[in-house]
Amino acid sequence: MKYLALVKLLFVQQYKVRSAVATRSGKKRLGSAALYLVLGVCFVPLFVAVAVAMYYMGKVSDGNVYVATFLTLICQSLVLMFGVHAVISNVFVVRDADRLLYLPIRSHVIFLAKLTVAYLNEVITTAVTAIVVLLPFGIGAGAGVAYYLMLLAALVLLPMLPMLAGTFVAMPISALVTLFGKNSAVKTILRIVLYVAIMALYMYAMYSFGFLTGSSGGNNFLDDPEKYIADTIGDFALNLQNVMPYFHSDYMLMQSMLATNFAQWAAGFACALAENAALLGLVFAVSLPFYRKMLASSVEGSGARGKNKNGGYVVKQRGTVREFMLTDLKRTVRDAQIGFQSFAGIIMTPVIVVILYFLMGTADSGETSFLELMQISPLYQMIAPLIILVYMTFLGCSTNVLGLYPISRENKSAFILKSLPVPFSKILLSKVLLATAVMVLSDFVTCILIVALFGVKWYIGIVMLAVMILVGFGAMCLTTLLDLKNPRFGWDNFNQGLKNAKNSWIAMLIALLAGVALTVCSVPFVVVFAILDSVYLTIAMWAVDLGVSAAFAAVSYKIMTGKAAKYFERIEV
Amino acid sequence: MIRLHNVSKTYFKSPVKAVDDLSLEVKPGEIFGFLGPNGAGKSTTIKIITGILTPDSGTVEINGVNLADDPIAAKSLVGYVPDNHEMYDALKGIEYLQFVGTMYGVRAADLKRKIDEYAALFELTDAIPDMIGSYSHGMKQKLSVIAALVHDPKVWILDEPLTGLDPQSAYQLKTLMRKQAEAGNTVFFSSHVIDVVEKVCDRIGIINHGKLVAVDTLDNIRADGKVSLESLFLTITSKNERQDAPDDASDDGEGK
Ligand SMILES: Nc1ncnc2c1ncn2[C@@H]1O[C@H](COP(=O)(O)OP(=O)(O)OP(=O)(O)O)[C@@H](O)[C@H]1O
Ligand SMILES: [Mg+2]
Repeated sequence: MKYLALVKLLFVQQYKVRSAVATRSGKKRLGSAALYLVLGVCFVPLFVAVAVAMYYMGKVSDGNVYVATFLTLICQSLVLMFGVHAVISNVFVVRDADRLLYLPIRSHVIFLAKLTVAYLNEVITTAVTAIVVLLPFGIGAGAGVAYYLMLLAALVLLPMLPMLAGTFVAMPISALVTLFGKNSAVKTILRIVLYVAIMALYMYAMYSFGFLTGSSGGNNFLDDPEKYIADTIGDFALNLQNVMPYFHSDYMLMQSMLATNFAQWAAGFACALAENAALLGLVFAVSLPFYRKMLASSVEGSGARGKNKNGGYVVKQRGTVREFMLTDLKRTVRDAQIGFQSFAGIIMTPVIVVILYFLMGTADSGETSFLELMQISPLYQMIAPLIILVYMTFLGCSTNVLGLYPISRENKSAFILKSLPVPFSKILLSKVLLATAVMVLSDFVTCILIVALFGVKWYIGIVMLAVMILVGFGAMCLTTLLDLKNPRFGWDNFNQGLKNAKNSWIAMLIALLAGVALTVCSVPFVVVFAILDSVYLTIAMWAVDLGVSAAFAAVSYKIMTGKAAKYFERIEV
Repeated sequence: MIRLHNVSKTYFKSPVKAVDDLSLEVKPGEIFGFLGPNGAGKSTTIKIITGILTPDSGTVEINGVNLADDPIAAKSLVGYVPDNHEMYDALKGIEYLQFVGTMYGVRAADLKRKIDEYAALFELTDAIPDMIGSYSHGMKQKLSVIAALVHDPKVWILDEPLTGLDPQSAYQLKTLMRKQAEAGNTVFFSSHVIDVVEKVCDRIGIINHGKLVAVDTLDNIRADGKVSLESLFLTITSKNERQDAPDDASDDGEGK
């Protein structure tokens, strides 16, 4: 069947990018294995922590169906966060139109195949979240065998809602962008702003369901922690009771999963199946016409032809590096996928700071907020910036796409770089400068927000900015080198082909390790500070952190410049 | 002048030698036609001459400059028209030309003059302020040609430059090649169109399975009276095929 063949082709194709250098397969496999091992060591504690929390959640709430529904919603929101790109880039950004349109296949079959591929990707993400969240919850709640069997069904059903939400997010964004963005750079910026706005709105809604309504019920945590937690979760479940049934398909699914008798199970499951089928129909019906429109406009091109009949052109005198950066910037901003990925980080990190602020800073009526309480402690100025710094560095490094794929970004036109009579060091410099500029911008806004919202002293803010930039720069040098060592050309879908590939993970890993190193360097000072309370300790701590990050940046830069030209030469295009 | 000396190249992922011990000299003022069946190694040879690929062994000299020793100086002498059209689609035509011009160190005034001249010649003046992504195949081809000429290259290398050009533009291009040669520059181009090669070239080389199997001036071939270039090409390349037939190691699939 054409549909199945197409699904297979598209699914495999999205991960298929051409490697442009020789790699001895044995060595490569060893390298990958080592990478995954280290990644595992770093991320497993996080997963385990979440899983343990979920286990208690299940235990304390005794398998409360509202809590379970809320947790599925959390899973789905994660799927949406990570999957909405996939929906946009797989389905609506139609880059392969000229290769699919001539095939004797109806366009709705193509659309269905693309939707299926997006769906399959989301099933994978759902599986991961389910293992970390729903599985331990079930164990904690002492659920029966049926729960675990139903978990498999849940994997199939749960991605539907995020798919629907994803298409609903993607469509207005794409439509508005086409409507208002005449210039492709403006389009990219518009796309980012809209995406972030919708995500922030969505996060806020989720958050207000869950946490705003919670009240501690007059108990004190310190008197009786277990009772406190039980009460809190109880209150929480009570609050959820009003909201969760609105997410009816999830609610029904959870009801069947936690069912105690057959009738309850059957009713819930049937309902969940029917509702999810309806969601699927809705996704399909709403977005097919839209897909057709995008398909048509993609074949017609950007529509810029012939617009500039009146205008002549000017030629300017510029330096090589400047010209190169300018060209690179234009090419990045004007490319729908790369532009979005590269510049979303500028907004994303600051938005996360704001969300963090809301999460911690919102006071229950009349009381002082958690944040304000913490700020009273003299240790706050010591510890808070450090934690925020480590977290922000982590985010900053992994969102700096310009520094992650400086060469793979060139895709099929990489040969142009190799034919130019420009020393590679200049090309490298331009690329590093551009990525650094974007990173500095993002870090700068982030630090201003941290100082403004979290009451961190401004001079500490400046030092934080410096450390963030240095660590970010160091990480970027390493990822740049990595991309040079094994660039990937021939991709159609930046998002699937590259963004989710190894480099992003490695960047996170590097940032994580840098964070650990900073923490290790700082903790002794914090401990002594707790005893001595001397301002010199603060100064000493930041001096050490600054020194360590500067050394990291310098060493990475050195490593990069030492090997880059050799790697570049090996690339076959 | 282009001088290749025992150049060999095997792609990382390929068992076959794409270029096999190839030696060749193209003199200034000469138009050299490079012929060969699909997958013979024409594009690979050209990429080696332009410095895009590093040969496994052998040396390349451009006007006496060794490519491996001084790649920047050697590359500055070359103008390259690629066979694929993966250009910077997100740029406007003028932005691309400005980019290339700056990279080759052309002064703004000279660049403007060159662009004006060649754009008019290829009737691209109106399209130059537009996005390359909106260009047709032939328009991209013309833009490549212009981009390869803005810095007055001493050696002009074109990989299948005539595919996709309309008759006027093809004529203009052929005239330009002749002009370059008359100015003492070297022109090296690959083509499948034997008629064109016959009309334009001073000398031709035929490559098959990475090996240069024949090099001669067209005058010599013509002097031979009986054989046309076409039949020569066909006999040479098919003879080679028969020799290789038993192990049949190569597939003639396009590399792209
Ligand atoms: N990037 C690549 N990776 C691996 N092998 C390649 C690559 N590019 C070309 N080849 C192989 O090298 C050989 C020569 O290819 P080349 O592109 O030089 O041929 P060509 O003479 O230009 O052919 P055509 O007339 O079709 O353009 C072929 O066997 C091809 O399969
Ligand atoms: Mg070729």
